[in-house]
Amino acid sequence: MSAQLWAVAAVGAIVLAAACVEAARSQIARRRAIGASAAPAREPYILYFTGDSCTVCRTHQEPALAKLGPVRVDRVDAIEDRTLADQFHVYTLPTTVVMSAEGRALHVNYGYAPATKLERQLADARIATVSVPATA
Amino acid sequence: MAVTQTVDQSALKVNQTGIVATVLVAVLGSQAVPWLIWLIPLLAIVLLAGTFAPQLALFKQLYFKVLKPRGIVKPRLMADRPEPHNFAQGLGGVFLAISSLLVFGPLLAGDFRPGPGLVLGFAIALLVAVLAFVNLAFGYCLGCQIYFQLGKRGLIRA
Repeated sequence: MSAQLWAVAAVGAIVLAAACVEAARSQIARRRAIGASAAPAREPYILYFTGDSCTVCRTHQEPALAKLGPVRVDRVDAIEDRTLADQFHVYTLPTTVVMSAEGRALHVNYGYAPATKLERQLADARIATVSVPATA
Repeated sequence: MAVTQTVDQSALKVNQTGIVATVLVAVLGSQAVPWLIWLIPLLAIVLLAGTFAPQLALFKQLYFKVLKPRGIVKPRLMADRPEPHNFAQGLGGVFLAISSLLVFGPLLAGDFRPGPGLVLGFAIALLVAVLAFVNLAFGYCLGCQIYFQLGKRGLIRA
């Protein structure tokens, strides 16, 4: 087999390995971030981690967030507010966190999250908020 | 911090297309036409030169001087910072320079047998093309993510 074909095979293996590592990394980060808390609100809301260097935030994520309708979206600069970013294990931009009304992270999306996915997660958060027993 | 600068996304897309096409022609085409292998160091020079002097960025100049004025590619201005993209381009140039050393090192030393260095050199060049394609098709820029990580650690101003 020629050097070129060996190189193509090597790159295929590297890309596959990188995809597996990325999947494992986001899984671990998500597991650590779920349940992390922030300020409570009247309704479920979204924490949107972004930054000046994030192009995909502007080209993809912000149009998707705009499609959601009347939902509170708290924009967080991951560089400026490093403490909050670390609390939610933000290792890539954009990162969106769907928070319950009690201020608990229910869903964490590392990378671009389409509007349909966020809508589904928000619906889930509303159900979770309703099912939390009222405390005196 | 609000972004006040704009970046023409079409210029970036043309640049990424140029990188993907050049690497594929160099690596796959060199099987039939060996001198095409020289496109790898040439592309490394183009990317590195374009990082430090934007007027030398060949593919972007092709867009600004030919494709945009003739209406072949429409501009798409977006609030953005050029630094992460330049960083990503420079990173691509560095990897292509390493690839060139690995490909041409044994050849310059008089060893014309295909060895692991040649395979590794081609693999690095193809990886640059894969990452440029991922950016082109899905908008995911690994170089920009590295820029973000360096900024997060305070190593650069991101």
